[in-house]
Amino acid sequence: MKKKLTAITALGVAAVLALSGCGGGSKDAADGKVTLKMVESLTNPTRTETLKTLLAGFEKENPNIKVDLISPPTDSADQKIQQMLQSGKGVDVVEARDITIGSFGANNWLYDMSADLKDWNGWADLTDNAVKYSKQGDKTYFIPYGFYGLSLFYRTDLVKDAGFSGPPASWTDLLEQSEKLNQPDANKFGYAFRGGTNANSNAVAIIEAYTADQVDVENAFLLKDGKTIFSAPEAQTAMDDYLELFKKGSPPSSVAWGYPEMVQGFSNGSTSFLLQDPEVIATIKESTSIKEDQWSVAPLLVGPTGKAIQPVGTAGWGIAQASTAKPEAIKLVKYLSQGEPATTFTKENSLVPILKSAAKDPFYSEGPWAAYVKMNEQPETYISAVQPRTVSWWTEWIAKSDGELQRVITGKMTTKDLLASWDKFWTEKMAG
Amino acid sequence: MALNAEQEVVRGRSSAGAPPQTSYTRKKRFNSKTALTMLAFMAPAAIFVGIFTYYPMISGSQMAFRNWNLNDLSDTSWVGWGNFRTLFENPEFGTIVRNTIVWVVGSLVPQVVIGFALALFLKRKFKFRGAYQAFIFFPWAVSGFLIGMLFRWMFNAEFGVVNDLLMKVGIIHSPVPWLAEPGFAMTAIIIANIWYGVTFFAIMILAALQSVSDEMYEAAAIDGAGKIRTFFSITLPAISVTLGLTILLRIIWIFNFPDIIWAMTGGGPADQTHIITTYMIKITQKGDYGQASALGLIVVFTLMLFAAFYLMAVRPRKENR
Amino acid sequence: MINKESVLSRTSKIIFLSICLIVTVFPLYWIVITSLKAPGTIYSLPLDYWPKEISFENYIGLFTKSDFGQYMINSLLVATVAATVATLISLLSAYVLARFQFSGRGAVLGAFLLTQMIPGFIALGPLYMMMTNFDLVDSKTGLILIYIAVCIPFCTIMLRGFFENVPDALEEAAMIDGCSRLSALFRVLVPVMMPGIAASFIFNFVNCWNELFLSVTLMNSDENKTIPTALAGFISSFNIDWGSMSAAAVLTVVPTLVIFAFASKFIVQGLTAGAVKG
Repeated sequence: MKKKLTAITALGVAAVLALSGCGGGSKDAADGKVTLKMVESLTNPTRTETLKTLLAGFEKENPNIKVDLISPPTDSADQKIQQMLQSGKGVDVVEARDITIGSFGANNWLYDMSADLKDWNGWADLTDNAVKYSKQGDKTYFIPYGFYGLSLFYRTDLVKDAGFSGPPASWTDLLEQSEKLNQPDANKFGYAFRGGTNANSNAVAIIEAYTADQVDVENAFLLKDGKTIFSAPEAQTAMDDYLELFKKGSPPSSVAWGYPEMVQGFSNGSTSFLLQDPEVIATIKESTSIKEDQWSVAPLLVGPTGKAIQPVGTAGWGIAQASTAKPEAIKLVKYLSQGEPATTFTKENSLVPILKSAAKDPFYSEGPWAAYVKMNEQPETYISAVQPRTVSWWTEWIAKSDGELQRVITGKMTTKDLLASWDKFWTEKMAG
Repeated sequence: MALNAEQEVVRGRSSAGAPPQTSYTRKKRFNSKTALTMLAFMAPAAIFVGIFTYYPMISGSQMAFRNWNLNDLSDTSWVGWGNFRTLFENPEFGTIVRNTIVWVVGSLVPQVVIGFALALFLKRKFKFRGAYQAFIFFPWAVSGFLIGMLFRWMFNAEFGVVNDLLMKVGIIHSPVPWLAEPGFAMTAIIIANIWYGVTFFAIMILAALQSVSDEMYEAAAIDGAGKIRTFFSITLPAISVTLGLTILLRIIWIFNFPDIIWAMTGGGPADQTHIITTYMIKITQKGDYGQASALGLIVVFTLMLFAAFYLMAVRPRKENR
Repeated sequence: MINKESVLSRTSKIIFLSICLIVTVFPLYWIVITSLKAPGTIYSLPLDYWPKEISFENYIGLFTKSDFGQYMINSLLVATVAATVATLISLLSAYVLARFQFSGRGAVLGAFLLTQMIPGFIALGPLYMMMTNFDLVDSKTGLILIYIAVCIPFCTIMLRGFFENVPDALEEAAMIDGCSRLSALFRVLVPVMMPGIAASFIFNFVNCWNELFLSVTLMNSDENKTIPTALAGFISSFNIDWGSMSAAAVLTVVPTLVIFAFASKFIVQGLTAGAVKG
């Protein structure tokens, strides 16, 4: 009987004891194969598939390296990546975003690749932007895999039926057209307003368009005189117009719309306009509710200045500081950042490419992409500018600004107070 | 002190109706062999809970007193009560506390009332009672996240079934932006939580009801007591201890249950549907684990205090019997 | 039976029970319908309360585009093992708490109750670090161990209530017959308490089966992910795949529904045993 007692109690205890014994096992198998762990952040099923194909190509080229792709649900991905990097184990290659790089860098979680990439032959093929964004301060924490930028998706059929000669070119046009196309009773709306997660991004876009003449292109949240863009009188007009756009031209439920709701609102045919990144091109193409000839893409909206500020968003592949397989990880980053793999990745995910060769690629000058070509050809009108997304307080800013913007559109705060609050926030943060 | 009181009521489950038949035999042969057996029996539970719950919790609590921000861990110095102060000074804090109370009370009361009614009706056998129970109990088996997503889809303003049905019946004439207007959003999340929680009460109360003996009802019938009097003088007192404990556990769980809200509204619009625990998730997403831990400690202490008062308040009723 | 139910109370009973049933089952019905609509058609107005064409595309997609079958196996494995071990361990600790009077008993109970009040987020960081050191990140064993720890406190409290309703005389008689305490527990007490134990097991199983947060944090590879992680994965940054999510949800809920159909009698019986005897 005593034996039985020992057996049962041991059941629980043994499991615990087993833990202490099994720490520290090397993941690199004895046969000389190195396993790289790679984590993505902006996960979606199609993208994961593309990445897996690319990684299979890499493994074929490097039979001694195996890559395990980790694809956490995107909602909690960055938090998970933080945990992984902090623990210093189980991750080699990581998807770093401009908005996370500030904190990853500050904590010394990422490896500075500058030295390893000094003689890399891939530099010559990268666009100027790609080279520029590969330097974060004096370090190279990641190589961009593509760029995001705003453009206006619109319904060609509805715009035409409403008697307009073309898509809106300015925010004022957008207000006018949205107001006309907005028919709440028929479940048809004008503009797919962003009121939910990351609502600040489009609000900042309109403020920047209204202050475009004075914006500091190296820090698009500041004016050339060093004050914040939120302090400019034009910002007040911008926010008032923006609120008007919500009230008169957008679905009431869009107070809570984040990225997925906006895109769905457009792709299921309920809204006529959507201001978004190129990556949604692929999603809308898959839509069964609207057909290929019912929509197109126009350049970003300009302000009364006649200009717009194009905020450049990016993300890329970097290496964990604690990785024990850095040479192999570098190989992988290089592999993904040049030639065929880089092109495939940007095309399949419809991102603005990082390679110069894409300029000659018909893929990027036709259909929805024509708007991007147009914007590229007119750098004086569509001014490319750097937003301070790499600061370590960026997540704090998003949380603050999203909450306050929702307060404004639900009538709990005035646009004046909002701008004062944002001005104060950035003035204090910039002063250190 | 609080814990002793809790223990009283937990034990009270067995002592409410009949005299506690076990306690007087409990103090018996307490030799070293028995002690060893006891220790061996307790060890696995203690080891598991100690390692995987208490160690991380205590280790995590210290972050509450430090400047622990994942966005920049270069300075994690001790800040005393600084994180708590920041929380209390936050103008949103009042709203969040108010929301938490609305969320707990608004979910709990209908859960108890509907659950109770359901249990009363299910007490007597009827055809297909087994099948009926299986269906009526199923919400309890669905995860909070899934319930949140499911109701988010049903409450969708443009393509949601709730608006469609309400419009068909003629209660509303144009779609309601449920999750976009603070008042409606709060209503929607509470409805989802009621849907989820009624079952739990129904099961617990039904179990308690079935243990009330028929003799007691027969005695009441002989006394000529009507249905309502029987309910208040027999049924309710007989199950009051189970009910009391169930409600307490439920309050603790609802308080600590961010899943539905997080999936449905994420605390929006304009932070108007945040309860303390969803707000904690929001803070961790900003990276400020120091503040999040401080908030977590506030939750633990609030619940402990509440449990103590609650148990002191329910205890006399038990003694009256 | 006190008196015959009047027609009025009978009618009100039927009406009330019907409303409860409809309200409870409708969301389930709605996910089933959503899952059976062809992708894209869920955004067509007016809403269809029965799909014009039944499409299994969402279900097929689950198994071809993702490893959903693997996730189901993982969930089943993790939840079964964790629930079983947790129930066994809790049986032992509940026995001690119910049968012996010792100093510190209140403290132990209090410590168990306290775990119910701790928001999980406090412990997450240190827990992750600890699991890294044990090399148990992205491991089913690791997840099982944590789930066991999560289940034990409430399960112990529940089982303790059942023990208190079984008279001491039972196992004492057995022990006089020469059984050890442990075998008395398993040979005499466990059979009597079976409904209660079944209820506790189901409770544990459902909790583990549905757990999302720890699973998302700790599991990385497809071989180890559980169903809730897959569900969360249908929300990507620019799309919520309601069709696939509904299909996955249906497949998640069905097993628990089946268990309930078989065990709902058990659950009530078990809990009745643990509740007040009047």
